[in-house]
Amino acid sequence: MVTAAAAQPAGTQHARVELLSHQETVSLGGNLQAGVHFILEPGWHIYWVNPGDSGQPPVFKWQLPAGFSAGEIQWPRPERMQATPQLADFGYHHEVLLPVTIHAPSSATINSPVEIGVEAKWLICREVCRPEHAQLHLTLAVAASGKEDPRSAPLFARTEKLLPQPMPRGWKASVRSGKDEFVLALDTGKRITKAEFFPLEPGQIDNPAPQKIQPSRSGCRITLKKSDLLLKPITVLRGVLVIPSGAAYRIEAPVRESLQ
Amino acid sequence: MKNLRRSILRAVVLMALIASAFAVRVGEPAPGFTAVDSNGKQQHLSDYKGKFVVLEWHNQGCPYTKKHYESGNMQRLQKEWTAKEVVWLTVISSAPGTQGFVTPTQENDYVKTMNAVPTAVIMDPGGSLGHLYAAKTTPHMFIIDPSGTLIYNGAIDDHPTSDQSDIASSKNYVSAALQQSMSGKPVTEAATRPYGCSVKYKD
Repeated sequence: MVTAAAAQPAGTQHARVELLSHQETVSLGGNLQAGVHFILEPGWHIYWVNPGDSGQPPVFKWQLPAGFSAGEIQWPRPERMQATPQLADFGYHHEVLLPVTIHAPSSATINSPVEIGVEAKWLICREVCRPEHAQLHLTLAVAASGKEDPRSAPLFARTEKLLPQPMPRGWKASVRSGKDEFVLALDTGKRITKAEFFPLEPGQIDNPAPQKIQPSRSGCRITLKKSDLLLKPITVLRGVLVIPSGAAYRIEAPVRESLQ
Repeated sequence: MKNLRRSILRAVVLMALIASAFAVRVGEPAPGFTAVDSNGKQQHLSDYKGKFVVLEWHNQGCPYTKKHYESGNMQRLQKEWTAKEVVWLTVISSAPGTQGFVTPTQENDYVKTMNAVPTAVIMDPGGSLGHLYAAKTTPHMFIIDPSGTLIYNGAIDDHPTSDQSDIASSKNYVSAALQQSMSGKPVTEAATRPYGCSVKYKD
Protein backbone atom coordinates (compact mmCIF):
# COMPACT_ATOMS: atom_id res chain seq x y z
CA MET A 1 0.00 0.00 0.00
CA VAL A 2 1.30 3.42 -0.99
CA THR A 3 0.46 5.97 1.63
CA ALA A 4 2.32 9.00 0.45
CA ALA A 5 3.68 10.72 -2.60
CA ALA A 6 6.54 8.69 -3.97
CA ALA A 7 8.79 10.65 -6.27
CA GLN A 8 11.71 9.26 -8.17
CA PRO A 9 14.24 12.00 -8.86
CA ALA A 10 16.16 11.87 -12.09
CA GLY A 11 19.71 13.06 -12.51
CA THR A 12 20.75 14.59 -15.80
CA GLN A 13 24.11 16.01 -16.70
CA HIS A 14 23.51 19.46 -15.22
CA ALA A 15 20.38 19.10 -13.09
CA ARG A 16 18.53 16.95 -10.61
CA VAL A 17 14.83 16.87 -11.36
CA GLU A 18 11.82 15.43 -9.54
CA LEU A 19 8.06 15.41 -9.79
CA LEU A 20 6.51 16.53 -6.51
CA SER A 21 3.02 16.87 -5.11
CA HIS A 22 1.89 19.39 -2.53
CA GLN A 23 -0.60 16.82 -1.20
CA GLU A 24 0.05 13.34 0.08
CA THR A 25 -3.13 12.00 -1.49
CA VAL A 26 -5.52 12.71 -4.35
CA SER A 27 -9.17 13.48 -3.64
CA LEU A 28 -11.95 12.77 -6.14
CA GLY A 29 -13.08 15.83 -8.05
CA GLY A 30 -10.31 17.82 -6.44
CA ASN A 31 -7.27 19.71 -7.60
CA LEU A 32 -3.82 18.46 -6.92
CA GLN A 33 -0.91 20.88 -6.92
CA ALA A 34 2.01 19.07 -8.57
CA GLY A 35 5.26 20.48 -9.86
CA VAL A 36 8.58 19.71 -11.43
CA HIS A 37 11.43 20.65 -9.14
CA PHE A 38 14.75 21.55 -10.77
CA ILE A 39 17.99 21.70 -8.81
CA LEU A 40 20.56 23.10 -11.21
CA GLU A 41 24.31 22.74 -11.27
CA PRO A 42 25.91 26.00 -10.10
CA GLY A 43 26.31 28.46 -12.98
CA TRP A 44 23.66 26.82 -15.16
CA HIS A 45 20.18 28.18 -15.83
CA ILE A 46 16.86 27.23 -17.38
CA TYR A 47 14.28 29.55 -18.92
CA TRP A 48 11.07 31.43 -18.18
CA VAL A 49 7.98 31.19 -20.42
CA ASN A 50 9.41 34.09 -22.44
CA PRO A 51 13.07 33.10 -22.52
CA GLY A 52 14.24 36.49 -23.78
CA ASP A 53 16.84 36.78 -26.52
CA SER A 54 17.88 33.13 -26.61
CA GLY A 55 16.94 29.83 -25.02
CA GLN A 56 13.74 27.86 -24.71
CA PRO A 57 11.28 27.30 -21.84
CA PRO A 58 10.79 23.80 -20.37
CA VAL A 59 7.98 21.70 -21.83
CA PHE A 60 5.99 19.07 -19.91
CA LYS A 61 4.06 16.25 -21.51
CA TRP A 62 1.79 14.65 -18.92
CA GLN A 63 0.81 11.01 -18.69
CA LEU A 64 -2.36 10.92 -16.59
CA PRO A 65 -5.04 8.35 -15.81
CA ALA A 66 -8.32 8.70 -17.74
CA GLY A 67 -10.36 11.68 -16.64
CA PHE A 68 -7.42 13.59 -15.15
CA SER A 69 -6.25 16.84 -16.71
CA ALA A 70 -3.21 19.06 -16.23
CA GLY A 71 -3.19 22.85 -16.39
CA GLU A 72 -0.51 25.21 -17.63
CA ILE A 73 2.82 25.74 -15.90
CA GLN A 74 2.58 28.47 -13.24
CA TRP A 75 5.80 30.38 -13.82
CA PRO A 76 7.53 31.91 -10.79
CA ARG A 77 8.94 35.37 -11.39
CA PRO A 78 12.08 35.17 -13.48
CA GLU A 79 15.55 36.59 -13.03
CA ARG A 80 17.23 38.65 -15.70
CA MET A 81 20.35 36.99 -17.04
CA GLN A 82 22.59 39.25 -19.01
CA ALA A 83 25.92 37.91 -20.17
CA THR A 84 26.67 40.76 -22.58
CA PRO A 85 25.26 44.28 -23.05
CA GLN A 86 23.52 43.13 -26.24
CA LEU A 87 21.63 40.08 -25.00
CA ALA A 88 19.33 39.41 -22.07
CA ASP A 89 17.57 36.20 -21.15
CA PHE A 90 14.92 35.47 -18.52
CA GLY A 91 15.03 32.37 -16.36
CA TYR A 92 16.11 30.63 -13.21
CA HIS A 93 19.36 29.78 -11.46
CA HIS A 94 20.04 27.34 -8.59
CA GLU A 95 16.61 25.90 -7.98
CA VAL A 96 13.05 26.33 -9.18
CA LEU A 97 9.73 24.55 -8.78
CA LEU A 98 7.38 24.84 -11.77
CA PRO A 99 3.92 24.07 -10.37
CA VAL A 100 1.03 22.66 -12.41
CA THR A 101 -2.50 22.05 -11.17
CA ILE A 102 -3.83 18.58 -11.89
CA HIS A 103 -7.55 18.04 -11.78
CA ALA A 104 -8.88 14.68 -10.66
CA PRO A 105 -12.27 13.46 -11.94
CA SER A 106 -15.12 13.01 -9.50
CA SER A 107 -16.01 9.53 -10.70
CA ALA A 108 -15.43 6.85 -8.12
CA THR A 109 -13.88 4.50 -10.64
CA ILE A 110 -10.34 5.73 -10.06
CA ASN A 111 -7.99 2.97 -9.13
CA SER A 112 -5.85 3.66 -6.14
CA PRO A 113 -2.99 4.39 -6.15
CA VAL A 114 -2.89 6.95 -8.95
CA GLU A 115 0.13 7.03 -11.24
CA ILE A 116 1.13 10.41 -12.60
CA GLY A 117 3.88 10.70 -15.15
CA VAL A 118 5.51 13.56 -16.96
CA GLU A 119 8.06 13.76 -19.72
CA ALA A 120 9.98 16.96 -19.10
CA LYS A 121 12.19 18.55 -21.73
CA TRP A 122 14.25 21.64 -21.07
CA LEU A 123 17.22 23.58 -22.29
CA ILE A 124 19.95 24.24 -19.74
CA CYS A 125 22.68 26.77 -20.43
CA ARG A 126 25.78 28.27 -18.94
CA GLU A 127 27.93 29.79 -21.70
CA VAL A 128 26.83 26.84 -23.78
CA CYS A 129 23.45 25.13 -23.96
CA ARG A 130 22.37 21.51 -23.66
CA PRO A 131 18.93 20.08 -24.27
CA GLU A 132 18.01 17.69 -21.45
CA HIS A 133 14.99 15.54 -20.66
CA ALA A 134 13.67 13.22 -17.99
CA GLN A 135 10.77 10.87 -17.47
CA LEU A 136 9.34 11.41 -13.98
CA HIS A 137 6.74 9.55 -11.95
CA LEU A 138 4.66 10.06 -8.87
CA THR A 139 2.37 7.60 -7.12
CA LEU A 140 -0.44 8.92 -4.93
CA ALA A 141 -3.14 7.18 -2.92
CA VAL A 142 -6.76 8.27 -3.29
CA ALA A 143 -8.33 9.69 -0.13
CA ALA A 144 -11.44 11.67 0.74
CA SER A 145 -9.50 14.83 1.37
CA GLY A 146 -6.06 15.83 0.20
CA LYS A 147 -3.56 16.16 3.02
CA GLU A 148 -0.39 18.24 2.72
CA ASP A 149 2.83 16.36 2.26
CA PRO A 150 5.11 17.71 4.99
CA ARG A 151 8.19 17.04 2.88
CA SER A 152 7.16 19.13 -0.13
CA ALA A 153 4.81 21.67 1.51
CA PRO A 154 7.56 24.17 2.46
CA LEU A 155 8.86 24.23 -1.12
CA PHE A 156 5.35 24.75 -2.54
CA ALA A 157 4.73 27.50 0.02
CA ARG A 158 7.99 29.24 -0.90
CA THR A 159 7.19 28.97 -4.59
CA GLU A 160 3.68 30.35 -4.07
CA LYS A 161 5.30 33.60 -2.92
CA LEU A 162 7.28 33.81 -6.17
CA LEU A 163 4.25 33.44 -8.43
CA PRO A 164 3.10 36.72 -9.96
CA GLN A 165 -0.17 37.90 -8.43
CA PRO A 166 -3.03 39.57 -10.24
CA MET A 167 -2.77 43.34 -10.18
CA PRO A 168 -4.33 44.58 -6.91
CA ARG A 169 -7.69 46.31 -7.17
CA GLY A 170 -7.18 50.03 -7.38
CA TRP A 171 -3.95 49.79 -9.33
CA LYS A 172 -3.89 51.32 -12.78
CA ALA A 173 -1.52 50.45 -15.57
CA SER A 174 -1.40 52.08 -18.98
CA VAL A 175 1.11 52.41 -21.76
CA ARG A 176 1.89 55.26 -24.12
CA SER A 177 3.58 54.14 -27.28
CA GLY A 178 6.20 56.49 -28.65
CA LYS A 179 8.38 56.10 -31.72
CA ASP A 180 11.08 53.98 -30.12
CA GLU A 181 9.75 53.28 -26.65
CA PHE A 182 6.79 52.33 -24.50
CA VAL A 183 6.19 54.28 -21.33
CA LEU A 184 4.42 52.11 -18.77
CA ALA A 185 2.64 54.24 -16.19
CA LEU A 186 1.73 52.54 -12.93
CA ASP A 187 -0.59 54.11 -10.43
CA THR A 188 -0.49 52.03 -7.27
CA GLY A 189 -1.07 54.64 -4.61
CA LYS A 190 2.49 54.21 -3.40
CA ARG A 191 5.79 55.54 -4.67
CA ILE A 192 7.85 52.92 -6.54
CA THR A 193 11.57 53.55 -6.86
CA LYS A 194 12.70 50.15 -8.05
CA ALA A 195 10.91 47.75 -10.36
CA GLU A 196 11.56 45.62 -13.38
CA PHE A 197 9.19 44.67 -16.17
CA PHE A 198 9.42 41.26 -17.83
CA PRO A 199 7.45 41.09 -21.09
CA LEU A 200 5.34 37.96 -21.61
CA GLU A 201 5.39 38.25 -25.40
CA PRO A 202 8.71 38.03 -27.19
CA GLY A 203 9.57 40.62 -29.82
CA GLN A 204 7.87 43.63 -28.22
CA ILE A 205 10.58 45.02 -25.96
CA ASP A 206 14.31 45.27 -26.48
CA ASN A 207 15.34 42.90 -23.69
CA PRO A 208 18.87 44.12 -22.86
CA ALA A 209 18.01 47.84 -22.93
CA PRO A 210 18.09 49.41 -19.46
CA GLN A 211 14.63 50.19 -18.11
CA LYS A 212 14.40 53.78 -16.90
CA ILE A 213 12.26 54.23 -13.79
CA GLN A 214 10.80 57.59 -12.87
CA PRO A 215 9.18 57.35 -9.44
CA SER A 216 6.03 59.37 -8.90
CA ARG A 217 4.08 60.04 -5.74
CA SER A 218 1.60 57.28 -6.50
CA GLY A 219 3.67 54.83 -8.51
CA CYS A 220 6.17 55.15 -11.30
CA ARG A 221 6.75 55.39 -15.01
CA ILE A 222 8.97 52.82 -16.71
CA THR A 223 10.49 53.53 -20.11
CA LEU A 224 10.91 50.39 -22.20
CA LYS A 225 12.79 50.44 -25.51
CA LYS A 226 10.86 48.83 -28.35
CA SER A 227 12.21 45.72 -30.05
CA ASP A 228 13.56 45.85 -33.60
CA LEU A 229 11.17 42.99 -34.29
CA LEU A 230 8.08 45.04 -33.46
CA LEU A 231 6.65 46.11 -36.80
CA LYS A 232 2.99 46.66 -35.92
CA PRO A 233 1.32 48.59 -33.12
CA ILE A 234 0.13 46.52 -30.16
CA THR A 235 -3.04 47.17 -28.22
CA VAL A 236 -2.02 45.62 -24.93
CA LEU A 237 1.29 45.05 -23.17
CA ARG A 238 1.40 41.97 -20.96
CA GLY A 239 4.12 41.12 -18.55
CA VAL A 240 5.26 40.63 -14.99
CA LEU A 241 6.30 43.52 -12.80
CA VAL A 242 8.82 42.57 -10.16
CA ILE A 243 9.25 44.92 -7.23
CA PRO A 244 12.49 43.80 -5.58
CA SER A 245 11.35 44.62 -2.07
CA GLY A 246 7.96 43.04 -2.57
CA ALA A 247 5.92 40.83 -4.78
CA ALA A 248 5.53 40.25 -8.50
CA TYR A 249 2.38 41.25 -10.35
CA ARG A 250 0.80 40.31 -13.66
CA ILE A 251 0.40 43.48 -15.65
CA GLU A 252 -1.95 43.89 -18.58
CA ALA A 253 -1.82 47.46 -19.77
CA PRO A 254 -3.74 49.00 -22.65
CA VAL A 255 -1.46 50.73 -25.14
CA ARG A 256 -2.22 54.13 -26.62
CA GLU A 257 -0.24 55.65 -29.45
CA SER A 258 1.13 59.02 -28.43
CA LEU A 259 1.65 61.80 -30.92
CA GLN A 260 5.20 63.00 -30.77
CA MET B 1 48.89 48.19 -45.46
CA LYS B 2 48.94 49.10 -41.81
CA ASN B 3 47.06 52.30 -42.59
CA LEU B 4 44.53 50.43 -44.65
CA ARG B 5 44.00 47.98 -41.83
CA ARG B 6 43.60 50.82 -39.39
CA SER B 7 41.06 52.57 -41.57
CA ILE B 8 39.10 49.32 -41.98
CA LEU B 9 39.16 48.90 -38.23
CA ARG B 10 37.97 52.46 -37.84
CA ALA B 11 35.16 51.84 -40.32
CA VAL B 12 34.13 48.73 -38.42
CA VAL B 13 34.10 50.58 -35.12
CA LEU B 14 32.11 53.39 -36.75
CA MET B 15 29.61 50.85 -38.12
CA ALA B 16 29.20 49.41 -34.64
CA LEU B 17 28.56 52.89 -33.25
CA ILE B 18 26.03 53.62 -35.97
CA ALA B 19 24.37 50.31 -35.21
CA SER B 20 23.84 51.22 -31.59
CA ALA B 21 22.21 54.46 -32.67
CA PHE B 22 20.04 53.08 -35.48
CA ALA B 23 18.13 49.86 -35.15
CA VAL B 24 18.13 47.30 -37.93
CA ARG B 25 14.48 47.26 -38.91
CA VAL B 26 12.57 45.42 -41.56
CA GLY B 27 11.52 47.83 -44.28
CA GLU B 28 14.60 49.99 -43.84
CA PRO B 29 17.90 49.86 -45.71
CA ALA B 30 20.12 47.02 -44.49
CA PRO B 31 23.38 48.42 -43.10
CA GLY B 32 26.29 47.96 -45.46
CA PHE B 33 29.38 46.07 -44.39
CA THR B 34 32.77 44.87 -45.44
CA ALA B 35 33.98 41.66 -43.88
CA VAL B 36 36.47 38.89 -44.52
CA ASP B 37 35.34 35.38 -45.43
CA SER B 38 36.90 32.00 -44.62
CA ASN B 39 38.94 32.15 -47.84
CA GLY B 40 40.42 35.49 -46.90
CA LYS B 41 38.31 37.30 -49.47
CA GLN B 42 36.60 40.59 -48.69
CA GLN B 43 32.83 40.49 -48.79
CA HIS B 44 31.05 43.80 -49.39
CA LEU B 45 27.30 43.85 -49.08
CA SER B 46 27.25 46.51 -51.81
CA ASP B 47 28.70 43.97 -54.29
CA TYR B 48 25.43 42.09 -54.10
CA LYS B 49 23.09 44.93 -54.98
CA GLY B 50 20.48 43.52 -57.36
CA LYS B 51 20.43 40.16 -55.60
CA PHE B 52 18.71 38.71 -52.58
CA VAL B 53 21.13 38.17 -49.70
CA VAL B 54 20.54 35.79 -46.80
CA LEU B 55 22.59 36.18 -43.60
CA GLU B 56 22.72 33.09 -41.39
CA TRP B 57 24.31 33.38 -37.93
CA HIS B 58 26.13 30.17 -37.16
CA ASN B 59 27.79 28.23 -34.31
CA GLN B 60 28.64 24.64 -35.15
CA GLY B 61 28.55 23.55 -31.46
CA CYS B 62 25.10 24.95 -30.73
CA PRO B 63 22.30 22.32 -30.47
CA TYR B 64 19.94 24.52 -32.52
CA THR B 65 22.48 24.96 -35.32
CA LYS B 66 23.14 21.21 -35.17
CA LYS B 67 19.41 20.56 -35.57
CA HIS B 68 19.47 22.26 -38.96
CA TYR B 69 22.87 20.98 -40.15
CA GLU B 70 22.80 17.36 -38.94
CA SER B 71 19.36 16.97 -40.51
CA GLY B 72 20.63 18.53 -43.74
CA ASN B 73 17.90 21.19 -43.55
CA MET B 74 20.23 24.18 -43.74
CA GLN B 75 22.22 22.67 -46.62
CA ARG B 76 18.96 22.01 -48.51
CA LEU B 77 17.97 25.65 -48.08
CA GLN B 78 21.40 26.87 -49.17
CA LYS B 79 21.29 24.65 -52.24
CA GLU B 80 17.75 25.58 -53.20
CA TRP B 81 18.17 29.32 -52.85
CA THR B 82 21.72 29.78 -54.15
CA ALA B 83 20.52 27.88 -57.26
CA LYS B 84 18.02 30.72 -57.63
CA GLU B 85 20.79 33.35 -57.54
CA VAL B 86 20.37 34.15 -53.85
CA VAL B 87 23.61 35.08 -52.06
CA TRP B 88 23.90 33.07 -48.85
CA LEU B 89 26.36 34.39 -46.27
CA THR B 90 26.94 32.29 -43.17
CA VAL B 91 28.33 34.45 -40.35
CA ILE B 92 30.34 33.25 -37.35
CA SER B 93 30.51 35.81 -34.54
CA SER B 94 31.81 33.47 -31.80
CA ALA B 95 34.74 35.17 -30.06
CA PRO B 96 38.04 33.29 -29.67
CA GLY B 97 37.78 30.87 -26.76
CA THR B 98 34.00 30.59 -26.98
CA GLN B 99 31.79 27.88 -28.41
CA GLY B 100 31.65 27.96 -32.19
CA PHE B 101 34.89 29.87 -32.72
CA VAL B 102 36.80 28.27 -35.58
CA THR B 103 39.77 29.18 -37.72
CA PRO B 104 39.13 29.73 -41.44
CA THR B 105 40.69 26.32 -42.19
CA GLN B 106 38.52 24.57 -39.61
CA GLU B 107 35.46 26.27 -41.06
CA ASN B 108 36.32 25.30 -44.62
CA ASP B 109 36.76 21.69 -43.46
CA TYR B 110 33.37 21.85 -41.71
CA VAL B 111 31.65 23.25 -44.80
CA LYS B 112 33.15 20.42 -46.85
CA THR B 113 32.26 17.68 -44.36
CA MET B 114 28.71 18.93 -43.93
CA ASN B 115 28.20 19.46 -47.68
CA ALA B 116 27.17 23.01 -46.91
CA VAL B 117 26.95 25.36 -49.90
CA PRO B 118 26.85 28.95 -48.65
CA THR B 119 28.14 31.59 -51.05
CA ALA B 120 30.72 32.44 -48.37
CA VAL B 121 31.31 32.16 -44.62
CA ILE B 122 32.11 35.46 -42.94
CA MET B 123 34.56 35.25 -40.03
CA ASP B 124 33.45 37.81 -37.44
CA PRO B 125 35.35 36.90 -34.26
CA GLY B 126 35.29 40.53 -33.12
CA GLY B 127 31.50 40.53 -33.37
CA SER B 128 31.23 43.79 -35.32
CA LEU B 129 28.94 42.41 -38.03
CA GLY B 130 26.90 40.61 -35.36
CA HIS B 131 26.48 43.84 -33.42
CA LEU B 132 25.73 45.80 -36.60
CA TYR B 133 22.74 43.53 -37.28
CA ALA B 134 22.00 42.89 -33.59
CA ALA B 135 22.21 39.15 -34.23
CA LYS B 136 21.01 37.41 -31.10
CA THR B 137 20.95 33.68 -31.67
CA THR B 138 22.34 30.84 -33.73
CA PRO B 139 20.65 30.48 -36.05
CA HIS B 140 19.37 34.05 -36.62
CA MET B 141 18.31 34.81 -40.18
CA PHE B 142 18.17 38.07 -42.13
CA ILE B 143 17.10 38.64 -45.73
CA ILE B 144 18.02 41.67 -47.80
CA ASP B 145 16.19 42.27 -51.06
CA PRO B 146 17.79 43.35 -54.38
CA SER B 147 17.19 47.03 -53.54
CA GLY B 148 19.15 46.65 -50.29
CA THR B 149 16.12 46.73 -47.99
CA LEU B 150 15.89 44.38 -45.04
CA ILE B 151 12.81 42.21 -45.65
CA TYR B 152 13.18 39.55 -42.96
CA ASN B 153 14.64 39.43 -39.44
CA GLY B 154 14.12 36.43 -37.22
CA ALA B 155 13.92 32.70 -36.76
CA ILE B 156 14.61 30.06 -39.36
CA ASP B 157 11.21 28.43 -38.75
CA ASP B 158 8.22 28.28 -36.42
CA HIS B 159 9.41 25.42 -34.14
CA PRO B 160 11.76 26.91 -31.52
CA THR B 161 13.27 23.59 -30.45
CA SER B 162 16.49 21.65 -30.93
CA ASP B 163 14.65 18.50 -32.12
CA GLN B 164 15.35 17.47 -35.69
CA SER B 165 12.01 15.65 -35.77
CA ASP B 166 10.21 19.01 -35.66
CA ILE B 167 11.62 20.17 -39.00
CA ALA B 168 9.17 18.21 -41.17
CA SER B 169 6.16 19.95 -39.63
CA SER B 170 7.77 23.41 -39.47
CA LYS B 171 7.01 26.42 -41.57
CA ASN B 172 10.31 27.76 -42.87
CA TYR B 173 10.18 31.55 -42.58
CA VAL B 174 13.21 32.12 -44.82
CA SER B 175 11.79 30.16 -47.74
CA ALA B 176 8.38 31.75 -47.25
CA ALA B 177 9.84 35.28 -47.27
CA LEU B 178 12.01 34.61 -50.33
CA GLN B 179 9.11 33.04 -52.23
CA GLN B 180 6.78 35.91 -51.43
CA SER B 181 9.29 38.62 -52.18
CA MET B 182 10.42 37.01 -55.45
CA SER B 183 6.84 36.90 -56.64
CA GLY B 184 6.39 40.56 -55.82
CA LYS B 185 4.29 40.04 -52.71
CA PRO B 186 4.84 41.60 -49.32
CA VAL B 187 6.39 39.29 -46.73
CA THR B 188 3.60 38.30 -44.34
CA GLU B 189 5.88 37.21 -41.48
CA ALA B 190 8.73 39.69 -41.74
CA ALA B 191 9.91 39.74 -38.12
CA THR B 192 9.81 36.79 -35.75
CA ARG B 193 11.61 35.95 -32.52
CA PRO B 194 14.84 34.22 -33.51
CA TYR B 195 15.48 31.10 -31.48
CA GLY B 196 18.62 29.24 -30.51
CA CYS B 197 21.78 29.67 -28.49
CA SER B 198 22.94 33.18 -27.74
CA VAL B 199 25.63 34.47 -30.09
CA LYS B 200 28.91 34.03 -28.21
CA TYR B 201 30.15 37.61 -28.42
CA LYS B 202 33.38 38.80 -26.93
CA ASP B 203 31.47 41.39 -24.88
